[in-house]
Amino acid sequence: MEGALAQDAALVELDDVSYAYEGETEPVLRSVSLRVWPGEFILILGPSGCGKSTLLHLLNGTIPHTLKGTLTGEARVCGKRVVDTKVASFATDVGTVFQDPEGQIVNIRVRDEVCFGLENLRRPREEILARCGESLSQVGLEEFGDRSVFDLSGGQKQRVSIAAVLAASPRLLVLDEPTANLDPQGMAEIFAVLHRLNRESGTTVVTVEHRVDELADRVSRVIMMEGGRIVFDGPPREAFSRRRGARRSAEGHGHDTRAGDAGVGGTRDADADVVPPSAWFPQASELALAIDDASQADPVRDVPLNVREAIAHARTRLGTGSTAVPPVASRARPPGRPLLSVRGLRYGYERSRPILHGIDLDLSSGGIVALCGRNGSGKTTFARLITRINQPPRGAIWLEERDVAGMEARDVALSIGYVFQNPDHQFVTDQVWDEVAYGLRVRDYADEAVRERVDEILGITDLLVYRDRSPFSLSLGERRRLSVATMLVLEPRLLLLDEPTIGQDHERAQELMGLMVRLRERYDTTVLMITHDVRLVAEWADRAVVIGDGHKLFDGAPIDMFADEALMDAAGLLAPPVFSISAALAHDCPDAGITPTLSLPALAHAVATARCAREEALP
Amino acid sequence: MSRATSFRFQAGNSFFHRLDPITRLVWVLGVSLLAFGAYIAWLQIVLALAVLATALLLARIPLRDVLRGTWLFGVACISFCLIQTFTLPGHRIAFRILGHPIYAESADYALASALRIYTIILSSLIFVRTTDPRELAIGLVTQAHMPYRIAYALFIALRIVPTIEEEIRTIRAAQAVRGVGRARGIGGRFAEARRYAIPLLVGSLRRASTMVMSMEARAFGAYPTRSFVDQPHMRPSGIAVCAVMLLLVVVWYTALGLGYVHTVYIVSPT
Repeated sequence: MEGALAQDAALVELDDVSYAYEGETEPVLRSVSLRVWPGEFILILGPSGCGKSTLLHLLNGTIPHTLKGTLTGEARVCGKRVVDTKVASFATDVGTVFQDPEGQIVNIRVRDEVCFGLENLRRPREEILARCGESLSQVGLEEFGDRSVFDLSGGQKQRVSIAAVLAASPRLLVLDEPTANLDPQGMAEIFAVLHRLNRESGTTVVTVEHRVDELADRVSRVIMMEGGRIVFDGPPREAFSRRRGARRSAEGHGHDTRAGDAGVGGTRDADADVVPPSAWFPQASELALAIDDASQADPVRDVPLNVREAIAHARTRLGTGSTAVPPVASRARPPGRPLLSVRGLRYGYERSRPILHGIDLDLSSGGIVALCGRNGSGKTTFARLITRINQPPRGAIWLEERDVAGMEARDVALSIGYVFQNPDHQFVTDQVWDEVAYGLRVRDYADEAVRERVDEILGITDLLVYRDRSPFSLSLGERRRLSVATMLVLEPRLLLLDEPTIGQDHERAQELMGLMVRLRERYDTTVLMITHDVRLVAEWADRAVVIGDGHKLFDGAPIDMFADEALMDAAGLLAPPVFSISAALAHDCPDAGITPTLSLPALAHAVATARCAREEALP
Repeated sequence: MSRATSFRFQAGNSFFHRLDPITRLVWVLGVSLLAFGAYIAWLQIVLALAVLATALLLARIPLRDVLRGTWLFGVACISFCLIQTFTLPGHRIAFRILGHPIYAESADYALASALRIYTIILSSLIFVRTTDPRELAIGLVTQAHMPYRIAYALFIALRIVPTIEEEIRTIRAAQAVRGVGRARGIGGRFAEARRYAIPLLVGSLRRASTMVMSMEARAFGAYPTRSFVDQPHMRPSGIAVCAVMLLLVVVWYTALGLGYVHTVYIVSPT
C-alpha cells in the first residue's frame, strides 16, 4: 500500500529518471538510477550545473509539481510515486533545507518558524509545542525559541531551518549546500548537527556540499555527478582514493548501492579510476595520494578521510621516498609600491554602535591578501569604506597618498575594483561586450581604446565567445568571470573579491584564482579577498588579515595565523587539514625535518624524504 | 551590515505590544479617520501630540527612533505647509513676510494638512514597530476570519520589505563601484530604476522561489485551514481601546456633520 513503507525498504527509488526543465530541450538529469537506504548519510558532489540540486528537488516532489518540466522514468520517495504525490504530502517524509537561510525562513520568531510546518498539518497545540522543543534541542537551540531570527548568526539560522523541518519528524533530510554562506565555525555547527541526527536519531541525510574536509569521515556514501548523470556511487574511501581527471566520457551508471558493501558501487566503465576534476576532495585524502606519489609507494587502499587518519598514514610513509628538491617555490614576495594606507579607521552606521574600532592596515602592490573573520565582524563594512561606497572619515584611508574621503566614488573605482559576492548585482547593460566596455565609456575613453581593451580582457577571461550574450544568461562561473572582467578593464591597482569561491566547484575556483595570479604578474595588481575558505587562504594568499568585532586581530603570514589557536577561535576559523597534519608531524617527529606548512606538495615531499625512519615515528 | 530601518517590527513589552493586532489595526484606522476629518490646526495639533505621546509612553518607542523614522516625512510636511501657506488664498491677513501677505485661513489650513500627513505616518510607525507581521496575519485569520493563504501573502509581503530594501542598497553599492552615479532628474531616475530592475527582479524571483519551495515542503496550503499555536485574543484593554476609538470617531464625525467643530481656529477669524 502506498505510503506504508517497511522500515528497511529504500527511502528513495529512482529508476532511469531523466528530467528537463519546462521550456528546455536539454535534460538536467539523464538516466539516473539510485537507491537511498534508511540510516545512510550521503554526500553528493559535482560541478556547478551537473544536476545535484535538481536531483534534490525531485526527492520532495518540488519536481515535477512546483518546477514543471518533462520527467521520465520511475521515481518513488518513501514509498510514494513522486508524480502522483503533491509536495505538501511529503512534509512528514522529507525535510528540505536550502542554501540561503534568509530565503527559506518564513517567520520572524524562532519558535514560530519551527512550529510552522506542524501548524500547516493541523496538529494539536500540545503536540506542536512538544515537537518544537524536541527539534530545537536536536539542533542545540533549546534556549532560542523566543529570539528573533534577525538576531541570529548564519549558522544559527541554518540550524533553525533544520529544526523547522525536523519538527515534522521526516525520515529523510535533504540539504542543498547548507553551509555555503557560513563561516567555518558555523559550518562545523551544521555538520555536527547532521552527524548527530544521523548517528543518534537514525535520520537519513542526503546533502550537496562543496566543503568536504569536515564532512568526508561522517558520510557513509558519496555520489558524484557530471552532466546530469551519476558517475560515481560508493563509500567515501573509494571515492576519494580516485584521481581527478578529465573523463573520456560523461557516461556513467547509477547503482542500487548499500553503503559500505565491499566492491559495490563505483563506475565500471573506461573512466572507472578517475572522478571529475571539478569535485572538491578532502585535503587529507589528497595529501595521502600525494605522499604515495612522492614516496613511489603503492597507493593506500583505505585513503584517509580526516586529519587523524592522514597523520597515521603519513607516519607509515616517513622517509620512504627520494630526496629530490621540494617542488614548491617560496611564496614570499618582495614588498611592492605603497598602495593603500588605513590609519585608525573608526566607523559605525550609528554613532552609538561602532562597527570598526581603529583599524590600521597598509597594502602594497602585487600581493594576494586574505581578509578573514566571522560573519558580521566588519569585513564588508571595511571593504565598503576603502572603495568609498560608504563615506569614510577624513584622514583615515589614503589611496596612493590621496584621502579617499575627499575623492569621488567613480575616481576611487579607477584604482580599486570590487567584485561583489553576487555578480548579478553589478551588471548594468544587456550584452557581455557592453558590460565590460561600460566602465571605460563612462570615463570617456576613445572608441578605439575601448574596443582594444574590451577584446583583450574578454580574451583573458575566456568570455570572448559570449560577447553578444546577455550577462544574465551565463552560468554562475561565467557571470563571476564577467564580473571580474568589468573590473579588470579599468586596470585597477587593487581588486577586492567578496567570497570568490562560494558556490564554485573546485575547477572553477582554481581557474578564478589562477586568473588572479596572472593579474598580479601582469599588472602588479593587489588582490584583497574577503573569504571564509581556509583552503583558499592557505593555497593562494601571501598574507592574511583577521578582523574580529571591528578590531584587527592579526596581520601576517597565513601560516602564522593558522598556528595561533586562540586567534583561530576568536575569528571563527578552522585550520586547513594540511596545516594541522604538518604541525602534528613536526611536533611528533621533531628530527624528521618536517615543519608546519600550507603546501600540500611540500608536505608530501617532506614526509617522503623525512630523515627519521618510519619505525621511529610510529607510536 | 547597514542601518536598520525604524519602520520594522521590534519585540517589546509595552502596552501597545501587549494589545492584539486587530486592536492595533482598529487604533491606526481610527487615528487616520480622525486625522482625515479635521481641517483646522488646533485639532490636528492635539491629535499629533496624542499620537506622539502614545508612541513615547504606550509603545515605548525612543524619541530618537521616532525622529529617525519620520524626519524625512517631517521635512516634506514642513515644505508642504510652507508652500500652502504662501500660495493659498484667504480673507484676513495675519501678517506679512517681505511684503507678501500671509492669510490666517491659509496658514491654519496648511498647518492642519501637514500635521494630518505627519500624524498618519507616525501612527503607522507605531503600528509597524509594535506588530509582528505574522501576528497580524494570524489575527486576520483567527479574529477577522480572513482565508489564511491571503493573510500569509500579506505577511510575506511585509516580511520581505526589509530584505528588498537591503537588496536595493547592495545593488546600488555594487553599481556605484562600476562608476554608475546616482541619477538626477526624471530621465536619470528612470534609467537608474531600469538598471536596478533586472538584478532586483532576478534576486527577488530567486528568493521568492526558495520561499515558496520552503513553505510548500512544510505543507503550507495542504489543507483549507491550519492550526495556530499562539492565537491572539482581544483582552479588556483591547476592547477598551477599540471602544474609545469608535466613540471618538462617531462623536467627531457627528459633530462634523452637525457643524459644531470647525468654528474655533488658531490663526483664522473667529
